[in-house]
Amino acid sequence: MLAWKMLKREFKSGDVMTLVIALVLSVGTVTGIGLFVDRLQKSFEIGAANLLAADRVISSDEPIVPLWQEQALDQKLNTANRVSFSSMLFSDAGLQLGQISAVSAAYPLRDSYLADTELFGTGVKTNAGPKSGEIWLSSRLASLLDVTLGAEVDVGEATFTVTQYLVRDPGSTGSVFSIAPRAIINLDDLAKTEVIIPGSRVRYHLLLSGEQQNLLDYDEWITPKLTDGIRLRTPKQRGERVGETISRAESFLLLAGTLAVALSGVAMALASSRYVKRHLIQFAVMKTMGATPKRLTRLTLYQLTILFLIGAVIGLLLGFLIQFVIGLLLQDLMAVELPSPDIQKLWLGVATGFVSLVAFCVPLMARLIQVTPLSVLNPSAPFQGNALFIYVAGLVGMYLLMFIYTGGFALPSIMFLSIAIIAVVISGLGYLLFRFGRARTQGATTGWQIGLASLYRRLLSNLFQLLVFTVILMLGLILYGIQANLISDWQKQLPENTPNHYLFNVLDDQVEGISSLANKYDIPISNWYPMVRGRVIEIKGIGVKEIYPRRADEPDLVEREINLTWADDTGAGSHILSGVFSSEGISIESQVAKEVNVTLGDELTLDIGGIQQTYPITSIREVDWSSMQPNFYIILPKAALSQFSANFVSSVFLTPATAPNFYKGMAEYPTVSMLNVGDLLKQIQAIVNQLSNALQLVLFFILSAGALVLVASIRVTLDERLEEGAILRTLGANKKLVRQALLVEFGALGFFAGCIASLTAEISLIALQIVLFKQDVTLHPLIWVLGPVVGTIIVTIIGVFASRAVLKVPPIKLLRAF
Amino acid sequence: MLKSEALVTKDLGHTVKTSEGPLTILKGINLEIKQGESVAIVGASGSGKSTLLGLIAGLDQHTDGEIYLQGHALSALDEEGRADLRAQYVGFVFQSFHLLPSLSALENVMLPAELKGDTSARETAIELLTKVGLDHRLNHYPRQLSGGEQQRVAIARAFASNAKILFADEPTGNLDSKNGVLISDLLFSLNEDNGTTLIMVTHDAKLAERCDRFVEIEAGELKES
Repeated sequence: MLAWKMLKREFKSGDVMTLVIALVLSVGTVTGIGLFVDRLQKSFEIGAANLLAADRVISSDEPIVPLWQEQALDQKLNTANRVSFSSMLFSDAGLQLGQISAVSAAYPLRDSYLADTELFGTGVKTNAGPKSGEIWLSSRLASLLDVTLGAEVDVGEATFTVTQYLVRDPGSTGSVFSIAPRAIINLDDLAKTEVIIPGSRVRYHLLLSGEQQNLLDYDEWITPKLTDGIRLRTPKQRGERVGETISRAESFLLLAGTLAVALSGVAMALASSRYVKRHLIQFAVMKTMGATPKRLTRLTLYQLTILFLIGAVIGLLLGFLIQFVIGLLLQDLMAVELPSPDIQKLWLGVATGFVSLVAFCVPLMARLIQVTPLSVLNPSAPFQGNALFIYVAGLVGMYLLMFIYTGGFALPSIMFLSIAIIAVVISGLGYLLFRFGRARTQGATTGWQIGLASLYRRLLSNLFQLLVFTVILMLGLILYGIQANLISDWQKQLPENTPNHYLFNVLDDQVEGISSLANKYDIPISNWYPMVRGRVIEIKGIGVKEIYPRRADEPDLVEREINLTWADDTGAGSHILSGVFSSEGISIESQVAKEVNVTLGDELTLDIGGIQQTYPITSIREVDWSSMQPNFYIILPKAALSQFSANFVSSVFLTPATAPNFYKGMAEYPTVSMLNVGDLLKQIQAIVNQLSNALQLVLFFILSAGALVLVASIRVTLDERLEEGAILRTLGANKKLVRQALLVEFGALGFFAGCIASLTAEISLIALQIVLFKQDVTLHPLIWVLGPVVGTIIVTIIGVFASRAVLKVPPIKLLRAF
Repeated sequence: MLKSEALVTKDLGHTVKTSEGPLTILKGINLEIKQGESVAIVGASGSGKSTLLGLIAGLDQHTDGEIYLQGHALSALDEEGRADLRAQYVGFVFQSFHLLPSLSALENVMLPAELKGDTSARETAIELLTKVGLDHRLNHYPRQLSGGEQQRVAIARAFASNAKILFADEPTGNLDSKNGVLISDLLFSLNEDNGTTLIMVTHDAKLAERCDRFVEIEAGELKES
């Protein structure tokens, strides 16, 4: 095939190779990001599913309709059952109220139990629950009942043998506020206990797991059947915050990746433009031989298709490899195993390759077909090409890709605007630097003079290079700054000061005892907050049901009972945004205030224990939820809560060394519930680590694409450079002078880029410190060294490498060619 | 009458638009060239001879008069039609050879046939390359060949399409005198063997003299001698 025959040889010439590498980089970057984020997303969904112990949980106060379970089985879903209730447990030593779960053999469908044979042990994973006749008790319940393994415990009419200490029951963390010490029995034994009688407070759960599509089908089937009091819970709802963060992270990573794609696109356009320049006459010659425009269009399309296939296949493999390697490296950081990537995500990479090729190559290649055959006789024959069309095609292509990545117009528009502003600023600074360099070195006798003159002479092309490398270096420096300073500070803060256990249901007279227990073992403990449960029923005098007729639309604040407190100040982890913290009114968290559309002075009516009270909003707080301090959507005036007997909440930071002592000490407070949030913290850290690692990877791709742009644009000017070099050398300049001129030209370009990058990166870091991390402003002297040094080295190496022919080819050969 | 002529022009003129208004490059050119005739177009640089060659070979659309190439009126054809006509009747030899660097000598000679979709051109191509004395260089790429050798490949390529009319633009212009003589010998002998019409633009008086006749262009007008 003629198209392939012609293309095959072209691979040896750099342009087609540049084109393919650029295509591979684009497809590889986007595929890598797409696949990796997909795995990340799924891993968090699995994490959330683990908290539910299933992919779906249907909960009801009535026994679950058997048909629902049959339907689930019909739809190839796995099912399990759990019935939870409070009941007294009896031992020889006494009796104790416990929260008991009766579970079927298949339970849990996701994650595992943690159980131990040691009292207050840390637990071993197991999937098999208690057999019939067995009971597993939490260490606290066992110590309250004063029983050890092998002892007998009665629940209702049935007697059970204690066979394990329950450390964690995966599906149980949802109900922390009703926590009594826990126990698990086999569902088959439930009837024997005879404790479930009409009027008992029992919650029935049907757990489901299986293929995503089957689950979605089931959701559709069951949703209309869900009446009041029946809830369908999904991991997505559960992990909504994390999910949102990840999807935002995906947009962010893809937008960063867009830079690699855009640069690759520019490299493709540059390579195409040189390719076109070199092939115009060839196409004209073919036209003289009678090749019709149709025939040449077909020929070009075949060639582009071949290039696309090669680029897409290698790019996809590269993307696949990259996400695989990252997945491997980060496996240890993850709370759950990373699921395998979804092949469907590959289309994103393929689409990127296709759009890039169409936007950046096709308009240029079209020139080949439009070339007049007259060019063979008169190479300067007027060419009917529209340069504007080529730029517009590139921009539209980039915009389209960004739209695909982010699914909206807002982010791409903001990014286009930002890039335009950055481009203007950097070009302005660059122009001044180039002019300064030129003005200081008049003449053409030293490498310095020739090199700096070259920078100024190819002003537009060099300004573009400067822009590209400044942005790359700036991103690298910002990332370095964030990782080296900001995140590591934040990470250091987390383990040292951040509480990892919440304490609930603490009675007034227990507060002092628990505080002194913590102090005894040097365990950090945060402030105590009194807490009652209440519900927002009216906003600005209008009933919540009236404002949100559909339950699905209800914001967090009104959807369920919330925890309320009163306090003298905002406490750690939050600060007042507007208004004054006052004993006359409500302090509300800023995000929920936005969700229910209230502001200072608006009134909220709350139902607390059946008593309705209305208060104005006197302050709006911003809460740092990641501080893990007890925090509340709403803080009430003390007067509002004084008539209710409050429980107290606090949080402590336990280490593996202090935890056993604290657990043992807490056995004295059997009614107090503890919630371990350490796992959640690990998740947050994992996200931060993953994101910064992923960003580094994306940056590497951006740098590669930037290098390719430099190489491609040097190639565009290569003929001109070769001619200049030849003339210089013919006129008596030695190789050393020509080399020096190249070193100065690219060294200065890299140095200038590095200086501007350091400046802009420092400004960005200061902004980040103030706005995002809320830290004191510190300068980063290392950045000021790294920018110019790294910039000079990288750009010089790439530049001199790409133009090495100027030094290698003997001048006589060059002169003959011109 | 027109069918017996390889090329006829009637009051051929060409005007181009420039920023300073229309510029007439050719005016009132009347030419009749018979089948098998060899004609040299001579003239000073900038006289319009290359433009004339481009127009009569159907590489560009003229603005005035008419051109009949093998009996076909060129003004009636669009680029696709002219391309078809070129494929059918026309061969070219250029001053700068214009071989495709990505193709070997053999592939370059096969190209005109391949562009027509004919894939059985290999033997004809080898035969032609043997005729021009390059049978030992079949798989060499243009940059591995000397200027004279490249022009020989180009001549083989021009004859490969069974052209009825061969247009040559300064075919020896880029060659030394020894190679120039070799190439012109080759061109005329192949032309005779194949009975093609040869229309050549040249500065070289000796080369022009070898043609059956020559026409001179001066300031865009014909001065037949």
